[in-house]
Amino acid sequence: MSLAVPPPDGTPLVEVEGLKVYFPIKEGIILERHIGDVRAVDDVSFTLRRGETLGLVGESGCGKTTTGRAVMRLYDSTAGTIRFDGVDVTASKGEALRRMRRRMQMIFQDPYASLNPRMTVNGIVGEPLDVHGEGGSTAERRARVGELLATVGLDPEFGVRYPHEFSGGQRQRIGIARALALSPELIVADEPISALDVSIQAQILNLLQRLQDRLGLTYLFIAHDLSVVRHISDRIAVMYLGRIVEVAASRELNLRPLHPYAVALLSAVPIPDPAVESRRRRIILSGDVPSPVNPPSGCRFHTRCWLRDRMGNPERCVAEDPQLRVLSTGHEVACHFAEEVDGSAEQVQATGARTLGTAGSGDAAGSGGAV
Amino acid sequence: MALLEVADLVVRFRTHDGTIHAVNGVSFALEEGETLGIVGESGCGKSVTSLAIMRLLPKPAGHIEGGSVRFDGQDLLACSEAEMREMRGRDMAMIFQDPMTSLNPVLTIEEQMLETIQAHRKVGKDEARARAVELLTMVGIAQPEDRLKAFPHQFSGGMRQRVMIAMALALAPKLLIADEPTTALDVTIQAQVLELLGRLTTEGGTAAILITHDLGVVAGMTQRINVMYAGFIVETAPTADLFAKPAHPYTVGLLHSIPRVDAPPGEELIPIEGTPPDQRRAPVGCPFAPRCAWRLPVCWEANPVLQPLRGGGPVVTTGPTATHRMACHNPPTREEAAAGRPLRDGFVVAPPPSAVAAEIEVVEP
Repeated sequence: MSLAVPPPDGTPLVEVEGLKVYFPIKEGIILERHIGDVRAVDDVSFTLRRGETLGLVGESGCGKTTTGRAVMRLYDSTAGTIRFDGVDVTASKGEALRRMRRRMQMIFQDPYASLNPRMTVNGIVGEPLDVHGEGGSTAERRARVGELLATVGLDPEFGVRYPHEFSGGQRQRIGIARALALSPELIVADEPISALDVSIQAQILNLLQRLQDRLGLTYLFIAHDLSVVRHISDRIAVMYLGRIVEVAASRELNLRPLHPYAVALLSAVPIPDPAVESRRRRIILSGDVPSPVNPPSGCRFHTRCWLRDRMGNPERCVAEDPQLRVLSTGHEVACHFAEEVDGSAEQVQATGARTLGTAGSGDAAGSGGAV
Repeated sequence: MALLEVADLVVRFRTHDGTIHAVNGVSFALEEGETLGIVGESGCGKSVTSLAIMRLLPKPAGHIEGGSVRFDGQDLLACSEAEMREMRGRDMAMIFQDPMTSLNPVLTIEEQMLETIQAHRKVGKDEARARAVELLTMVGIAQPEDRLKAFPHQFSGGMRQRVMIAMALALAPKLLIADEPTTALDVTIQAQVLELLGRLTTEGGTAAILITHDLGVVAGMTQRINVMYAGFIVETAPTADLFAKPAHPYTVGLLHSIPRVDAPPGEELIPIEGTPPDQRRAPVGCPFAPRCAWRLPVCWEANPVLQPLRGGGPVVTTGPTATHRMACHNPPTREEAAAGRPLRDGFVVAPPPSAVAAEIEVVEP
């Protein structure tokens, strides 16, 4: 049994259309009344192609984790379809779902909470094999687990130890080995490095990239940190309050963000370089993210939008819900006035480009980075 | 004389598992109004250093076992508990990472703010309340009169951290220590809080120590940085110098292991392999040696001391012209620092001496 999967050919692996995940709010003890919904994910569509990494980025409560879990069928969706390799998984159940599930695996944020403290590493990494009846004989199973541990850079001898004997970074490697056990095609990684120390984060990021190259994996990479998402993703989808507000190629999004929220998010990411920091200016968004129980009308970002403020608060933002529209190849934005963002001082300052006007051009890439 | 002078501070924790060598002889100084960043990973001693300065080490495990801390001319380690209590809040204040656990969940914001103000100032309730309203306005909380009646759980994380900042600055302290003040917050909220913190400390002339693991945060917020590893300061320099000319292999490694949002495409991360040392072992040699790509045989035996990058001239410890110093036997050259790895022909890292080889995890780059 090898770890190889069919080579990535750029065909869609996951197609999400109009996905909604609502969590009901109920009141009353005996007679439960449904009084509202937390609209965690509210009409989200995207496609994940074989072999690519799509980054889902946004702040807490924006629905990125819920989206990831809905794709895994860990949450039932309220509406919409999720097609995995052409098959609608929102409808599948029982044996069909079980067979589908082994093709998608998840890596969790907290390497302390996601490993059973009473199981040995061999038990943890081998459990998916047992569940799906792939373990084979004891010797085969042990060999396979050893191979998986070696793949993630752990000594196969460690298999007899328990999770508490490992550091955070090593635990995350164990979690990755478990996710790889069934040779999945899709891996949903939910904040896989945010609980780790800085020097360990790069180890795990590099490991994930090596594994993708070697095994042809497709990643849905969920994180709040735009610099991490940018590093690993081919394309990035920015979420705000249950919606995708902008999708673009990773590089394009960082050089030419077009949604006012994406610009603000990018401007807020600190860059470890005082020279760049001194010429950037943060866009300070006022207030907090509104409640997803009762999202603002029209554009959900209008209550905090700096662009709307500058344009004299046009009525359209409050009245009309902007849909994702294509502004250039592969670059979609859900903002009525995205054209106003392009080339604005805010956009330039957020990207940290050296001079006005270079933010959109191709050769600006190095000007901010190579110092 | 500097506002704060820490000299050869040694802090240890006595636990059932043995003695933890948390801080192993740390010296630095801070002038009035200066902003210092302390950067390092979990367990490097950055928080313990600040808790020791505030004399807030967890008891009974934590002990200051050596060194001195002088604040505003006073020897803090000789102060009684009552004297310390007087000073905390009034002269020196602290903001913690998690604003939820640093506020009392069963008291309103008003009760907590008034308590702080009235503990140090002989003022009536009305006057204290007026000050509280003024402070909440200062940190940008809308309708402060109404919000005073709220409980902490009715505030979002960013607002709670604003309340913490308001309380910390209530008595215009000379020194503010912020321990990972924005780590629990979302990035746009982090931007709000950092902006506020920067503005208020500048306006009030408050000296600040910003403790964080995030090099991006200190790059924009501080004038000077101490990089800590395993309880030692391994490099110290004015902020611009540190980023332009990182000199210690650990600093070089940190800068190469964080993805930058403005990096050119195809940027390669060079992680620091291995894990930080077990601090139950008394430190012998350079603490970074087991993970270092530049280590020499001497690194296993002698711990290097902080030395100026370039010899000659007096060592300046504070202010914008502070001397760039670091503790390394075999510092990377400028080219090596830029590349993130040794470039010398035939250079091989020194293997660990047999005495320690079995006990510690050593990385072969």
